[in-house]
This record gives sequence, structure tokens and C-alpha cells, in this order.
Amino acid sequence: MTVNELIQSGALQTFEGGTITADAVSGGTLVSVNPTTLKVRIAEGVAANLLLLHTKPMQTLAEVELAEGSSLSMGDVYLAGSFADVKVSQCASSECRMVVVQLGDANVTYDVALNGKEAASSLHGVFVGADSEHVVFDLTTRHNVSDCRSESLVKGVVSDRAAGEFRGLVYVAQDAQRTDARQTSRNVEIGNAAHIITKPQLEIYADDVKCSHGATVGQIDDEAILYMRQRGLSEPMARRLLLEGFVGDVVSRCEAGGELCAALAAEVESKLEKL
Amino acid sequence: MLKVTNLHASVGEKEILRGINLEVKAGEVHAIMGPNGSGKSTLASVLAGNEKFTVTAGEVTFEGKNLLEMSIEDRARMGLFLGFQYPVEIPGVTMANFMKMAVAEQRKFRGEEPLSTSEFLRLMREKSAVVELDSKLTSRAVNEGFSGGEKKKNEIFQMAMLDPKLAILDETDSGLDIDALRIVATGVTKLHTSENATVVITHYQRLLDYIVPDYVHVLYKGRIIHSGDKSLALKLEKEGYDWLINDHKE
Repeated sequence: MTVNELIQSGALQTFEGGTITADAVSGGTLVSVNPTTLKVRIAEGVAANLLLLHTKPMQTLAEVELAEGSSLSMGDVYLAGSFADVKVSQCASSECRMVVVQLGDANVTYDVALNGKEAASSLHGVFVGADSEHVVFDLTTRHNVSDCRSESLVKGVVSDRAAGEFRGLVYVAQDAQRTDARQTSRNVEIGNAAHIITKPQLEIYADDVKCSHGATVGQIDDEAILYMRQRGLSEPMARRLLLEGFVGDVVSRCEAGGELCAALAAEVESKLEKL
Repeated sequence: MLKVTNLHASVGEKEILRGINLEVKAGEVHAIMGPNGSGKSTLASVLAGNEKFTVTAGEVTFEGKNLLEMSIEDRARMGLFLGFQYPVEIPGVTMANFMKMAVAEQRKFRGEEPLSTSEFLRLMREKSAVVELDSKLTSRAVNEGFSGGEKKKNEIFQMAMLDPKLAILDETDSGLDIDALRIVATGVTKLHTSENATVVITHYQRLLDYIVPDYVHVLYKGRIIHSGDKSLALKLEKEGYDWLINDHKE
């Protein structure tokens, strides 16, 4: 089932936007479809699951606040060209795990602010651009206080004349000692006209920190394609398998529930088939 | 099964194979030896269909068909297997998934029904035992983080899964310790029948203690300059190649 079919089937409890407070431990996933403005607050000590689905071109502003000791698993999925601003602010000892999937002309800015001690943020993202699409993935992680952890891994695949841009900034404030921040950007360009720009940046004002960043841009591994063809796979099949393998560790982090995660994986696969 | 006639191949402007003649029949084991740079791996690559090399002259038939007209994958599906000297890592693709697709493609090509999941799993279990491959490795990504020995065992495991008519093993013994060499070589021997054939490319006689060849060929500067039986490998181990190649120096 595709994501759209799943939405139309009525199997999901969805809402369009507005202000929402998650104040009890909820078993299911809160699913917001095409929100224009959305404010979500996860109450103290609560664990919640949130999924934002963007199925048509539009503009979105989403603000998410994690109270002390809360935890949130959040998915953010773009099936069509969209502009979006996603702001996450985290209080002490909160944990936010984000999985982002951008398929299409999405231009999305993430701003994650770690405002309380021992807050932790992880973000795993993938963007795929085909034809002449232009995908922008902009991520700022702000370590405003000490003892916070952040980790991001964003993978991009572009083909034809598509362009993909990753901008990643890790900001560490002067008092944010013992910060542990890691940022990785990995990308594959298919063909000579496809283009990736990756700009990882660190801005550090504290002196006792562990920060790392890395970025790679590569082509499809011809040796791997040859190896798979020697075992009987066709070239398109080998290429797709290789790309699915490349983004697979991001997509498999989906925590939105079996049906949704399967639908999401199917969307990614069908997009990769178009490359 | 395989007939190579006056095969010439080059990479760019450089001619590497300069007239290879070789015939391999069902049930036979051939060993190809020769000094570094003589064209052994190139021969294996050209037979497998690696597009990096251009065939400039000659003919190759496999089971009566013109091999040189076929794509890499069709050669594989017909039953030609190349054991890579340097098996490639494929991050994010599990061995099980990879083999499932490879077996499915081969069966489709041959007009056979696809295997059910339980039949496939049984095949995986049975074949991983041939090379004592840790069954946990089949749920890991292809060759990723495998040791040198595991990679080579994994090649023979894949060979067992695909049950090729002709297996070309390119320096499968390189980088193996004594135990791994025994396991890999014994695995190859177990897979050998009167219906299939094996070509092993090697530098060392010790592999041939396990995989006993019917013929040993010496490749030098792109040509087979001498052929013999298994005693030739022993002689080469003792005396080197000089006595053979002196006549062929330019």
C-alpha cells in the first residue's frame, strides 16, 4: 500500500495541524497530513510518536517542544515538492529521534535546539532527486547548554540533472562544555549532470567538546555492479539494490509502526526505480 | 563446454591476451599458472564479460553458444561463475537477499519455477555447510566486515548456491591461512562433478594438493606457452618459470 492509499483507507488517525499536547504515554503514532502550521508539545516524561506527511506541494511551519525527560520519535516525509520549517526545542534529559525522507523538490530547514542539559538528538535523513528536481536539506543543531549529544546522518542520491544540497551546521555555545556532536553527510551522484553540494560546518565556542563531521560525494560503485551482474542480476537491478542498500539504514529506523514504515519503504523504492 | 580460440583482448591500447587457445570439457579441472602480469586475471575477466576489456580477435564458445555476444549477467545465468580475487563489499545488501535475487534470476532465465522461501532457506543452510560458513554471515551485508578468509569462503558458498557449469576461480587461495585454504579447497572439490568443470588460477602448488588438476597451463605474456599434467605444477614450484620463459623473452 502506498502512503496515500494508507491515508485514504482511514486506517490512520490523522489531523491537519493546529496545537497539540501529548500529555500521556500514547501507544499509537500521531499522524499529521499536510499541516500548514503545527505546534506539538510533548509533556514531561511522556514518550510519543509523531509522523508528518507531506503529500502535496505546500508550505509548512512545524514547532515541536520536548519537555524535561520526554522522548519523541518523529518522522518527516515529503512525497512532493514543499517548503517547510521544522523547529525542535528540547528541555533537559529529553530525547528526540528523527527520520526524514525527502522525495522530490522539497526545501526543508531543520532547527534543533538543545536547551536543557543531557538532551539528546538524533537525525537520520535521506533525500532523493530525479529529473531536474532540486532538493535542499538544511540542518542546524544548536548545543546551547552543556552535556548534550547530537548525531546526524544524511544521505543523498541524485540522478539526471537533479541537484541536492545539504547544509549542516553544528553550533556549540560558549558554556556548552562536554558537548558530543557528530554529523555525517554521504551522497551519490548518478551520471555527469547530477550535482551534489554538501556543506558541513562547525561553529564551536566551548573548549571541552567532542565534535566530528564528515562529508562524501561519490558515484555508483562500478565494481559492486560488476560483482552483482556476475551473479546474474541485471544492471538496473544491481543498481537499485545498491541504492536501496545505501539508504536502507536510514529508512529502517522508521518507528511509525509496521504498516506506515512498509509504505514509506515502498515509496523510497519506487522513487529509486525512477533514477 | 568451453572453447577458446585465438583470443586477443586489450585494455585501452595495451594488448594483454595475445592468442589464447584453451578447451575445457565437462568433468575436468584446469589450473592456470604463470608469473605476475601474464594475463591470468584478464583471461578470467574477459570470459566473465568484464566490459573494461575489449576483445580484438578470436572466438569463445560456451555450451555451443557464442559467449562473447552475451552480457555479463546472461553468462552468469547460463552457468558461468567467476570467483573474484577481491570480492566486493556491498553495504546495506544482505547476503540472503542478494542470493535470493541471484538464484531467482538464474531460475527465471532457465525457465524454472521460483523457489519457495522455505526451499530457499533450506538451500542456504545446506550450501553454507559446504564451506563451514557461519550462518550468521548470511544475514550480514555482502562481504562487509568479512575477514579475508570469510570473503573467499563466501565466494565458494555463492558458487555452491548457483551450482555453475563452469567455475573460474581467480586466486581463490590468495590471502588464506592454512585452515581456510583447506576448507575452501575442500569445498570446491565437493562441488566438482562429472557434469561441471573448474578452472583455477593460482600461484601456488599447495592449492592443487586439494584440487587436483587434469591439466596445468602456463600463461606468459598473454599466451599459453606450456601445458602439462599435475606434475608440471610441482616442477614449477621447485624450479620457477625461467626454464619455460627463456624461449619467449623478447
